[in-house]
Amino acid sequence: MATLLRGLRAAGALRGLGGVLAPPTATNLPLCRLWRGFYCAARRLQDESKSDRASSSSSSPSSSSFHQHYQAHSAEQDSASQHPSDSAETPAGRVAYADDQSEDQDEEYESEEQLQARILTAALEFVPLHGWSMEAIAAGAESLGLSSASTGMFTNGSGDLVLHFIADCNAKLTEILAEQHNRVQLGQAEKKKTSEFLRDAVETRLRMYVPYMETWPQAMSLLLLPHNIPDSLKHLSNLVDDIWYYAGDRSTDMNWYTKRAVLTGIYNTTELVMVQDSSPDFQDTWAFLDNRIQDVVNMATTAKQVQSTGEAVVQGLMGAAVTVSFS
Amino acid sequence: MAASVRTFVRSLSRKNAGFSAVLRLSDCRWFSGKAEERSTHFGFETVSETEKASKVYKVFENVAQKYDVMNDAMSLGIHRLWKDALLHVMHPQPGARLLDVAGGTGDIAFRFLEYVRSQQERQQRRAVLLGQTPSWQDVSDRYPDGGGAPESAVVVCDINKEMLKVGRQRADSRGVTTGLSWVVGDAEELPFNDDQFDLYTIAFGIRNVTHIDQALKEALRVLKPGGRFLCLEFSKVTNPVLERLYDVYSFQVIPVLGEVIAGDWKSYQYLVESIRKFPDQEEFKGLMEDSGFFCVQYFNLTGGVVALHSGFKL
Repeated sequence: MATLLRGLRAAGALRGLGGVLAPPTATNLPLCRLWRGFYCAARRLQDESKSDRASSSSSSPSSSSFHQHYQAHSAEQDSASQHPSDSAETPAGRVAYADDQSEDQDEEYESEEQLQARILTAALEFVPLHGWSMEAIAAGAESLGLSSASTGMFTNGSGDLVLHFIADCNAKLTEILAEQHNRVQLGQAEKKKTSEFLRDAVETRLRMYVPYMETWPQAMSLLLLPHNIPDSLKHLSNLVDDIWYYAGDRSTDMNWYTKRAVLTGIYNTTELVMVQDSSPDFQDTWAFLDNRIQDVVNMATTAKQVQSTGEAVVQGLMGAAVTVSFS
Repeated sequence: MAASVRTFVRSLSRKNAGFSAVLRLSDCRWFSGKAEERSTHFGFETVSETEKASKVYKVFENVAQKYDVMNDAMSLGIHRLWKDALLHVMHPQPGARLLDVAGGTGDIAFRFLEYVRSQQERQQRRAVLLGQTPSWQDVSDRYPDGGGAPESAVVVCDINKEMLKVGRQRADSRGVTTGLSWVVGDAEELPFNDDQFDLYTIAFGIRNVTHIDQALKEALRVLKPGGRFLCLEFSKVTNPVLERLYDVYSFQVIPVLGEVIAGDWKSYQYLVESIRKFPDQEEFKGLMEDSGFFCVQYFNLTGGVVALHSGFKL
């Protein structure tokens, strides 16, 4: 089984390599100048919702290869962030291993990180009681039948726990989005507008925090500690990238950055609102999210209007100048 | 050492190759006789393995009364910092059980009990500050006799009765009565069942053990799954300048201190020599990994004078 795992990882790496070597799909979006980049990004939001249906069918073969690359890539990331989603089904997997005595030593060595991931997953149960702390990890280890001394493996205890949880949530979201994408491609579901898609993705992701809402402020403060910032930023950027990818973004210019920046802003502010929201089922938060996305869409339309008005005015002035110069 | 014995026997058997089974039988008997007297190091001298254990016993019997005073004098009090560092790395959770091997006078045991008790107090204070109205369960937990949670406990195990006697005297003078027990035992053959302890420490004791791998295997045996092995031991100094100073200090100053304070030059000569004979950080890490510990890592303290090795039974 160990060799199978190694083979899978190697195959994943190869596929990733293939994906990188393939040229990125060019979209038919014109290049925007830097100072108009933001408005362009917002405009694309509107444009794509119309042209999405047209372009998706033409770019579907290449997008599916990208899709594969992304899944392999995210699987690599997941295993790197110590949570391979396939090993999460450990009860069933372990039963198959337990019979094979000869592989015990090999499998034990390979699963040091998997064991740490299992302990952290078990610790999540105790977070409402102990908060995001070493005590929760100790309780988690004990629930797995291990001694509480195994918490010594986690030098950055509570930070490790929060980061593991975040990586877990990101993986779940990626699964859900991939599922939806498949269903759309098979024709079983309607393709959503980009703004609606973003709204649903952010809501799904934020709902994963609901069981831990009371202790979430502590988790957020842990993520802001200097030694945790690189990892938390990495997870956040992966999340935003995933959501945009499944929303259909294939931009290769400044839009790539501005889109992700916009979504990061929306996500973070909505999270902050959620933390102090006391309305039933967080209705205020979803209303806030709706408004923010609507703001971005409005800004896009306004930007477009401003641009076309500006162009019309400029043309008028040019005509007037020519007339004046001739007379 | 074992290899040299083997080659010796091989050359011997080659010489006697032509002889009959009777003579070969006598060779076998001779070979097994030789095995009992395999030699090992006792400081810089070579002794047989059976002799080493008794010689070490005698050394510690002699130094037991002045052990703590000498520790302070030789290390200029720094040994307290080393032991504190061990506790900080250990970070025991409430309810953990510690086995302190070669822990004679109880330094680690006392520190462990203090650490756990202050942690429990801190937790209780935090609960009070949060202004939670305590449930009946919490109120009953706070009573010293009650609570269902397992209390932390330390078992101090040492092969030397004199050291344990000194340790018990110290416990009495400090007023520590609960959570502490004293057991006579050999690190290579611990008198405990499997899977008993959360933590196993051996501070400045493993270099005196005749078969280190045997001691490591025993440690693995008595630890619970997920348990942690911690070893504090003198090791190789990394900085060459510091190394020269350390050598001079070790061989010129320490035995003199031993003679002046404890009236025993030879024991402290043995101490210094045994430090030189002990494997260095990487080698010991390798030994631990071979014995079956996972996530083995070490921390150098005071520039490598002391190394703290940690491993897990997973």
